[in-house]
Amino acid sequence: MILQCMVCLVCLALLSLPATAQGGPEVPKFHEETATSGLDASFTGEWEQMVGGGVATFDCNGDRRPDMAIAGGTSPATLWVNESPTGGALRFVPLDGGIGLTGVSGLYPLDIDGDAITDLVALRVGEDVVLRGKGDCRFTRANETWHFDGGDLWSMAFAATWEAGSDWPTLAIGSYIDRTQDAFPWGSCTDNRLFRPAPDGGFAAPLPLLPGFCALSMLFTDWNRSGQPALRVSNDREYYKGGQEQLWHIAAGQPPRAYTEAEGWLRLRVWGMGIASSDLDFDGFPEYFLTSMADNKLQTLVDPGSHLPRYADVAFPRGAIAQRPYTGGDVRPSTAWHAQFEDVNNDGFSDLFIAKGNVSEMPDFAQKDPNNLLLQRLDGSFEEAGDRAGIASFLTARGAALADFNLDGQMDLVVVNRNGPAQVWRNEGTAGHWIALALHQPGPNRDAIGARIEVDMGDHIQRREVASGGGHAGGSLGWLHFGLGAQATARVRVIWPDGPASDWADLAADGFHDLTRGGPPSGWQP
Amino acid sequence: MTRLPFRFLLRILRPCGLLLATVLAVASGQPARASADPQVVLTTWYRLVLELVRHTPTYSPPVAARAFAYLGITAYEATASGNPGMTSLAGQLIALTPPPARNAGATYDEGLVLQAAMAASVANFFGNTGPTGHRAKAALQDKLDKSAADGVAPEVAARSRAHGKAVADHILAWSQTDGGAAITNMGFPVTWTPSDQPGHWVPTSRIVPQQAPLLPDWGRNRPLAMPDGSSCPLPPPPPYSEESGSDFHAEAVEVWQASRTLTAEQREIAAFWSDDPMLSPTPPGHWISILLEIADRDRLDPTRTADALARLGIAMSDGFIGCWDAKFRHDLIRPVTYIRKTIDAKWEPLLITPPFPEYPSGHSTQSGAAATVLTAIFGAHFSFTDSTHADDGLPPRDYPDFWTAANEAAISRLYGGIHFRAAIERGLEQGACIGAHVNALRTLE
Repeated sequence: MILQCMVCLVCLALLSLPATAQGGPEVPKFHEETATSGLDASFTGEWEQMVGGGVATFDCNGDRRPDMAIAGGTSPATLWVNESPTGGALRFVPLDGGIGLTGVSGLYPLDIDGDAITDLVALRVGEDVVLRGKGDCRFTRANETWHFDGGDLWSMAFAATWEAGSDWPTLAIGSYIDRTQDAFPWGSCTDNRLFRPAPDGGFAAPLPLLPGFCALSMLFTDWNRSGQPALRVSNDREYYKGGQEQLWHIAAGQPPRAYTEAEGWLRLRVWGMGIASSDLDFDGFPEYFLTSMADNKLQTLVDPGSHLPRYADVAFPRGAIAQRPYTGGDVRPSTAWHAQFEDVNNDGFSDLFIAKGNVSEMPDFAQKDPNNLLLQRLDGSFEEAGDRAGIASFLTARGAALADFNLDGQMDLVVVNRNGPAQVWRNEGTAGHWIALALHQPGPNRDAIGARIEVDMGDHIQRREVASGGGHAGGSLGWLHFGLGAQATARVRVIWPDGPASDWADLAADGFHDLTRGGPPSGWQP
Repeated sequence: MTRLPFRFLLRILRPCGLLLATVLAVASGQPARASADPQVVLTTWYRLVLELVRHTPTYSPPVAARAFAYLGITAYEATASGNPGMTSLAGQLIALTPPPARNAGATYDEGLVLQAAMAASVANFFGNTGPTGHRAKAALQDKLDKSAADGVAPEVAARSRAHGKAVADHILAWSQTDGGAAITNMGFPVTWTPSDQPGHWVPTSRIVPQQAPLLPDWGRNRPLAMPDGSSCPLPPPPPYSEESGSDFHAEAVEVWQASRTLTAEQREIAAFWSDDPMLSPTPPGHWISILLEIADRDRLDPTRTADALARLGIAMSDGFIGCWDAKFRHDLIRPVTYIRKTIDAKWEPLLITPPFPEYPSGHSTQSGAAATVLTAIFGAHFSFTDSTHADDGLPPRDYPDFWTAANEAAISRLYGGIHFRAAIERGLEQGACIGAHVNALRTLE
């Protein structure tokens, strides 16, 4: 099956991607603009901050440019308003928007209350806090208003979905070590929690997702295209006993239930730190990249027809293993954190960014551990281009985000470093066409979390799941970007979260388009 | 920054039974009546070491066995230096010179001697562990330092600490020249060219470093009790053949057929003895765990415990040296490679195939060595319970004697689909040979 897919990919590529440079994917040029951007943030701390350091990218002031909220660890979380001119240098301005909590390990954007203003979920070493967006980049604590029990754990993972028929989101929050066991934490993983809507509004008391295995990333994903997302949980094997990676049934009105071996779920134990997903082989089923220490995993569904969640690891044959530094002379194994698929060179193929950095002076792992930028080749394999693209930082990375900060159609990059300055790079662009889309629907789930976007490339279809969660301690909400290669127009449709599909629409490339449920697409100009 | 050390001690001292009382009294702030029991000091450090082995990335089974050997020798020599009934291993173990002696007529506190010796030794062997391991080590050292010194005259405490550390330093210096002190790239050569001849080992993993075999030179390390790595040689495995009906093919068919007819208990046995690096205390740690459970159950005194820990550690360390010497002499193909080539192209073994040659089985050699030594110490019909993996959800297993456990550990690798029968049976024999070298050591009178 895997070989068949790779052969298929080669055929597709040869037929339809004239924009791809001969001899390998075109390498985008990233220009680091940290010093001139105004960004001055860091994720600080020691043992309780050995993990975390996420960044949320979302629009907080209505100008549709991605702003940033950055976890600070022992330092306050910070909010950065994006004032980058279109196509120009990156520029951010700090704003005290009410998110300056300490102890924040991660931040995820989500319009929880459906008021068209993005809210934030702050994962903390301590009480988790939901922050209601008030507009104009102002936020206020809403734990009490929304009956959100923030607990007092070491929270690290987040994912959100709207269960069928619900007018309020369901949140999954993953927790790490029992920090009261700081001298002997092995085997002390605390419970993950599932916050479902309460009948009378807000969140009900959280349900424990037992057993918890020290989660560092979660993602609601419709892995089998059943229409009902399941919850993937990536766990850190350093601290659990008897644990493994997990996949949970989350069915409306039913208690959460972990998939079992009898259902096809195969035991996998990694230092799970981040999840990224993308339909790399265009078969309609997402692949999943799991970050870890040394060897990372790229999982593809073995037999979609079987409806069994059995995955094969294809990181090695596809060149996506990224197990040690590729530059800088340090040959010790790497430590990987945030991962994200985006098409950074607009050739129509998802590429993969991986944030790297030593946990904390672990001598058997690389100290000079550059971030990866793996460009997807025509045959579906990947090649390292971090150094050639200019993003091979040796700081100690944790969270990150690829986002088009200056709205020029090129995916820029922000990386949060532990006990070091966050960095931003502007993508100077490639020749490929692109399109950026925003989904809107009436009702509570306004950003259509759980929808699937399909872009018809002629001989294959790019598909993207609209998700809230995954990565390492941070996520994005906003424009959804597709590279189009040589295609000057894009044929696009949306499978909305509850199943109906929109009509196919032909959209002009190299532009921004709003796709509103029940209405015609409309262009938007920065 | 350290919080709740009392709870920490409760967790790791839980198996120490009544001996816990003294240390817990100190940790909880109650007046202490005496210094810490040396047995508590010894077994507490060992229980932390079982976790550190699991969580320190370089600790593959051979490396873990080496550390257990030197930790045991350190504990033994620190104890023996104050016990005329114990014979020093100096002059018996290869290249070990006599450790520093105690001052004649001076008073020492045995708990503090062991505490200083174990703290120094663990600090050395696990200096490369992660941040959490360092925190745990520091917390344990702090608490045991305080409890062990409570009620001890300052000059006695200082003298005891100095002696314990001096013994540890002596053993550490000796260990540095055995060839196994430095582990780079997790033990995998950066480059490796597998043999292109039929029947030889080829990589079986999709992990990049594992395209080379683990620790190919480990068999050249200086052993402890046996003269050299080839002191317990093996006959060759059945001649390599891909012909149906050949002895080699028959062995492969046995592994393949076993995988298709495994009983629930056989699966349980395969998992119980799997002892994967980074997910368990490793195979040698499993046997150390068995010994600690016996020491707790039978209330062994520190002399017997140190003796058993040293001899078991030596046996397993030499076991891996001998096994690795043979593995790279024979360089045999793994079942997964052979079976997929000749019998079943889609075959999947139950366990993950380790990244090094097949013959003999490391589990078998080290388990044979362990059973030989433990039988000599405790007797041929010594029953015990093995709760090593209780925290990981695997129920304890009962054994009537050490050889039953060793045989089960060995055959578990056939159930797991990663070894042929010859590697198991000849491995056990090799282990018995290596264990006999250890049993020839003079320790307790």
